[in-house]
Order: sequence, then structure tokens, then C-alpha cells
Amino acid sequence: MSQVKFFPEVKEHRLANGLLVLVGEIHTLPMISYQVHFAAGSRYEKPGITGMTHLFEHMMFKGTYRVKPEEFARIIQAHGGTLNAFTTTDNTSYYENLPADKLELAVELEADRLANLQLTSATLEPEREVVRSERKLRSVNSPFGLLIEQLFALAYEQHPYRWPVIGWDHDLKNLTLDDCREYYRTHYAPNNAVVVVIGDVFAEDVFNLVEKHYALISRQPSAHLTITPEKPQRGEKRAIYKKVSQVAAFFAAFHIPGIAHPDLIPLHILCTVLSSGRSSIFFQKFEKPGKAVETQADMGSPPFFYMDPGLLQIYAIASPSFPLEKLEKEIWEEVEALCRGSLPVDTLLKAKKQVRSAFLQNLQTHFFRGLLAGLYQVRAGDHRFLDQILSRYESVTAEEVLRVAQKYLRPENRTVVSLQPVNQAEHEELGAIE
Amino acid sequence: MNPKPDPRTFSLPPIFSTTRNGMKIYVVPRSELPLVSVHLVLPHGAETDPTGKAGLADLTAEMLTLGTRKRSGPQIASEVDSLGASLSAHAGWDATSIHIQGLKEDLDHLLELLREVILDPAFSEEEFSQLQRRRLAMLAQQKDESQIVAAERFEEILFRETPYDHPVYGTLKSLPLLSREETQDFYQRRFLPEGSFWVFVGDLDAEACFGQVETKFPVVPPRPIHIPSFKPQEVSGVKTILIDRPDLTQSQIRLGHLGIPHAHPDYIPFEVMNYILGGGGFSSRLMQKIRVELGLTYGIRSSLDSRKNLGPFAVATFTPTETTFSCVQEILSVMKSFRLQGASKQEEEEAIHFLRGSYPMRFETLNQIAQRIIQTEVHGIGIEFLEDYPGKIAAVQGADILRCAQEHVDSENLIITIVGRAKAFSHDFERFGPVEVWE
Repeated sequence: MSQVKFFPEVKEHRLANGLLVLVGEIHTLPMISYQVHFAAGSRYEKPGITGMTHLFEHMMFKGTYRVKPEEFARIIQAHGGTLNAFTTTDNTSYYENLPADKLELAVELEADRLANLQLTSATLEPEREVVRSERKLRSVNSPFGLLIEQLFALAYEQHPYRWPVIGWDHDLKNLTLDDCREYYRTHYAPNNAVVVVIGDVFAEDVFNLVEKHYALISRQPSAHLTITPEKPQRGEKRAIYKKVSQVAAFFAAFHIPGIAHPDLIPLHILCTVLSSGRSSIFFQKFEKPGKAVETQADMGSPPFFYMDPGLLQIYAIASPSFPLEKLEKEIWEEVEALCRGSLPVDTLLKAKKQVRSAFLQNLQTHFFRGLLAGLYQVRAGDHRFLDQILSRYESVTAEEVLRVAQKYLRPENRTVVSLQPVNQAEHEELGAIE
Repeated sequence: MNPKPDPRTFSLPPIFSTTRNGMKIYVVPRSELPLVSVHLVLPHGAETDPTGKAGLADLTAEMLTLGTRKRSGPQIASEVDSLGASLSAHAGWDATSIHIQGLKEDLDHLLELLREVILDPAFSEEEFSQLQRRRLAMLAQQKDESQIVAAERFEEILFRETPYDHPVYGTLKSLPLLSREETQDFYQRRFLPEGSFWVFVGDLDAEACFGQVETKFPVVPPRPIHIPSFKPQEVSGVKTILIDRPDLTQSQIRLGHLGIPHAHPDYIPFEVMNYILGGGGFSSRLMQKIRVELGLTYGIRSSLDSRKNLGPFAVATFTPTETTFSCVQEILSVMKSFRLQGASKQEEEEAIHFLRGSYPMRFETLNQIAQRIIQTEVHGIGIEFLEDYPGKIAAVQGADILRCAQEHVDSENLIITIVGRAKAFSHDFERFGPVEVWE
């Protein structure tokens, strides 16, 4: 019986080819979420092919011998389903949320594109431009996108988290069909994937259908990958980024451990104390009096913690009337005061209740429940991590929160990138952005 | 295998309703998770902002959450957070909603907080000036968000000189003109009028909720607030407004015209029609042509924002600076040919299957359920709309789709708003008609 009272028991089955299947039965709505999570993310890339993982996610919609390009989505939608996919540093995930009686359709289509994807330059070329447009949307033309790219590139010197999931534009322009084929062969194997089904199904039926459609897909040799770990940071790193902007801002990052490390839970409580809700330290001290437009301490939440040692980000967008340097100084003073002082019992209890409540709010959808099981499996190596999540948060003590605050929020472990607004002429003089 | 009722059929969750103290109350019990969500909805929103006072309704709503005569703003924030709850109050178009959600174990406390913020707000001078400053700072930052700028300018032009002509949260020009006294006065004149209603969803009991409203809230006076209906001027010809942002490498595009109200008899066939034109993701013609075939954008969709009066119907997309004009040309050509041909039998069937088959997913979370009910009540289309929807969708015919496209979609009379490097394409757009370039 799962310790997370509101999560169904996860039943599992492994096929001979290595594919793992996880099923959670919930019979409240006649719907399911069918998800396939691959251990494929930008952490598996090399310089020169950055963005390959994400571009490849797009190529998975480009058809097989049976299904024409972009027909996948049309078929699922024509059966009452919604679908999408997303790529992160650590996983690539595909999902269909659809009527429960359409389970076999999802199994069949997902198995088909895992085995029979057709990769052609006719479909690659327009998709390359689509992804370059996506890069412009998310990074180049978004107010803080390029700043965050610079933050990661500076905080990490060796580990692949130093480049963005969407990839550098130059690499996107140069990725080849052979790169796509190589990526497909290496990462899209049944022994590198987890299928998760949550909703109005019975586990035995799911296992039988997955066996029927996936059993003949061959296991692939595991990829020989070297992912260079990051060395401990030994002093603060700083950079300035200049662009046209209405506001000044800074984005800071502290190295923290990966998803399976026990310190993440008290660190998440720490972030909650700093910036969750209108009674948080950051809102009361900086946003309420109008010093900052926004101030956040953010490290993701379950199951979106980084697989390898990640970053806890603290960022602030200064109000036009308040100097950025002063805002940054005051924020570090608050953080230091928290590290040095004690954490009142009611502040800790409040943070715990906020986390518990947010977690329960998320559990309302089959989709999120599926992500929890699938991403803990891919990123932490075991979906059963989620059994302990709520009790782990419950058991956090004030001492633990202070210990992790002192351990990780040190200036030596900090990287800061500041956005310095410039006018159009200076913006142009600094060179093209892409 | 455990015996269970047929799992494959969807039926709406039971909706209990009554009227107490002159207010309608809807309750939808859902006991899967120990959560509750409560909305009080007032039958007017940002369209009641006085001329030149854009943002007053929304600012007034938020002031409610920033302190009562018993509890200060920080005290309310601290209590809400300590319950792991969230409290918000916002004006939209045609409605204003005060919402609290949290855990079932705290329901009494949540309702007490809600009662106090609704009936006894303090309107403190300090909270007001801080809120005003926060909003001005947020709006200054928002000028960097080209998507938001494109959407705002599009509606500003489409609804010029009507009550929908401004953003609900106000503008950099209007916010400094608002005073604390005005928000308090707006509250006294506008809050809890006839037509206000409640929606409770979650792990709760209907009778108990009815009783809570009856004992905690006053009887509303049978005095409706009169909100005049209005009709914005139809667009004639193509007008292009370019908002110049020379630092951008990609243009944000919004183009369209007036749509239809939710209560319009064509609302249902319009939904099917729009799925095929641009609302249906990869099944839509716009996505197929502009993204899949031409690779001009990462995303494109057309949508109707249905309101009590005529709301906007718009196509939204973005494309690199160099392809801005050709992208718009292609969009217009897709719209034009759709108006001529209508939908194929396959498109029609697939749209209907999608809208019917995915309908249960619109009732997955407490807030989705609440929004479905709020929508029917605000637009006066009756709660039975929710039950009837799948059947009405199924009844849509090819001829209805063609008629809807011809009557309600127009590729020759519309407004085009683009945020981007104007110099690179302003000349091209002169082919369509007048072009204005804004700073």
C-alpha cells in the first residue's frame, strides 16, 4: 500500500526487452493518461549537437510507414484525446490524455513510432525552422531568456547542464539527418523507456496490450556516455548581460544536489519560506513595498528536481524606481539573517502545509500523477520515491532547514548574472542576438 | 477483478443548487481529495470601469484581500498561507470573482476569511498605495513582454471607445489617476448586488454549504445593477498597426475581428468550425499550413473569447522578422479558402469526436468544474448547457460549419497588430490598406 494516501498503488511489469510499465488504477473519470518517458535529455548531448534531444522530440511526430507526418496528433485528437511532448535536461516525455476505451490506440501508436519512425530531410528542414522560432520565443525575445542561459553557462563549467535544452542556434542550424538517426538508435530503445498509465484501466489489461505491441521491439545496447560531473565551486562568479529592457534584474544560482539526495526536501521548505505566498519573506520585504516587481527562490518541485546536481535560483526583477544593487544587497542580507538565525515553529509548520496543499492540488489530474511516477523512475531510478514524499516533508526539522541553508546558500557557491538595460543603439553595437 | 459500474461512460458530477439570501448557490461534491474551492461571483467586471479609470474594478477586488477592519493585510496573508490556502479577487469581463481554496479540514476558517474580506474590507491607505505601486511596476515590466503588448493593442483598437477597450488590470496612464476613496466607493456601490452567485466544489456537503451562505452572508437587495449592452463598430477593410520594437528578432502577430457572444445560437457550430480552422492544434488548417508545411512558426491558433457582448475572434502567432509579411499573407489565404470551401466530411467528424470525447477532461479539477458552472451562469445560458453540450456538438452539420465560417470569419475586414521590427515590413503591409506605426 502506497504511503501517499491519495495516490493509487503503482503496479509494475517489465517486458523481456527491458521496457518498464507502471500502472495506477483510478476509476473516477473514464479517462487515462498514457505516458512514455525516455532517459533522453540535454544531459546526454555533446557540444556541437546541443538541442538535438529537443529537435528529435519534434521529429517523433513526423510519421512512420503507417502513419503520415503529423498524423499522430490528428488521430489521437479525432478519438477525443489531447497530446503533447516535452524535453528537459533529464528526460523526454510523450503523453496522450484520452478516453479510457482508447487505450490500445495510444499503445499501438507509441509502439509504432518507437520502432518505425521515418526520418527524412523533407520533414527535418521545416521542423528545424519551427524549433528556431521556438528558440526565439522562449529565449532570444523573452525578457529574461538569454540571461538565464548565461547563468547556466557560467554556473556550470563542465557538466552538460551548461547549455540550454533548446540548444544554441548555431547547432540547430547544423544538425543533420544522420545526427537524428544516431540519436534515435541510441536513446529510443525499450530498455531506455518507462510507460506509465494512470486512470480508468486495470493493470493486467495494460500489461497485456503493452506486451502485444512492444514485445517485438529489440532491446538496444546501453549507450556509452560520459557525463562530466561539475567540480565544487570555490568562489562567487558574476556577469553582466546588456539588452534593451524596461527593468533591471538579477538571477543568481547556488549548486545543490540531485533528485535522490535527502537535502532537497529541506531545501524545498527553505524556498517555500523565502518566497511562497504573500506572507513569505521575499513578498513582505521586497514585493509588497514596491522594491521588486518579482522575487523568487526556486528549485522546482517534485517530480521536477534535477537528476544531477542542479541549481537553486534566487532572482529579483527590480521596480523601475529601486536600484538593483541595493535590492540585491538587501536580499542577501535577508538570506544571511535566515541562515544565522532560528526558524520559528509556526513558519516551519506554515511552509509544510503550503507544500502539502500544493502537492494535493497537483494530484487532481491523471497527467500529473503519471508524471510523478514516470519522472521519479527516470530521474531518481525508482518511482517508489514518491511513496515517501509527503512523510519526508512532514519530518523536516527547523535544524535541517538551517543546516541546508548554511551549507548551500554560501556566497562561494553563488553565480550571479545581472541584466543591465541599454538603449537600442548600444544594444545593436553589442552584436546580433540569436 | 473488482466489480464496478461501467467505467466507460461519463456523466456530469451531480450539481446541487438552491437560492438563499437572494443568491444562487451551486455545490458540486467531489471527495477524491481533501480539497475545497469556493467562488463568489459578481455579475459585472472590468466593463464597468468608468471612462478614463481603467483598472478600477480589478483594483477594488484585490483591495478586499489586503486587510479587513479586524485583520491587517499581512495577518490575512499569514493566515491564508498557514492554511496552505490561496485567496484571490479579480475582475474579468462581465464578472468579478472572489476565490478561496484550501484543505477540507480548514473549511470553516476559509469561509470566515472569505466572509470578512467580502463584508468588512478595510481599504487601508498604505495597502492601496503599495498595491498601486506594485501594479505600475508590473505594467512597466510588461512592456517587454511582446505577446502581452500584441494582445493588448489588438483589443484596444478593436474595442475603441467601448467598455472593453482597456486591459482589466488598467494601464500606466489610468492607474495613477485612481484613488483609495474611489475603490471604496466602487465597492460600496457595486459589491454583492442582485445576480451574485456562489460555486462550492470539493470534499463538502451541499446542505452545509447552503447553510453557511445563509448564516454568514446578508440578503442581497433585489435591485439589479444596470449594465448597458453595447456594440463595437464593425471593422471595415484591413487596418495594420505595427508596434515598433527594433530589438526583436521575431514578430508577435494578432489578427482578427469581432466574434459572437456566448449566448449566440451559432456558438456551438462556431466551436466546431474554429477547431478546424485554427483551434484544433495539429488538426487545424492554420497549424498544418503555417507550421507543418511552411515552418514559419512554432505555434498558431485561432480563438474566440466569448463575452456577454461581442468578444474578439483572433489568430495569434509569431514568426521571425524576415517572414512576417509572408506569414500574414498565408494566414489570410487559409482563412479565405476555408470560407469558400468549408470543412471536409473527415474534418467535420474529427472535430466533433474531439470535442465530445475530450469533454470529460474539462471536469477533472475542482477549478475546471467551477469555471464550467460560472461560464453558464455569467452568460445566462442555463446550467443544462453542460449536460446538453455533447449532444449539441454531435448535431452540428457540414452546412452549419460553412455558414458559420462565411458569417463569422472575415479575411477582408480585420485588424492586424504586430509587435516587431516595423521598418523591416511596414512597406509590405501597405498592400493591405492603411498602416500605422506606434512607438
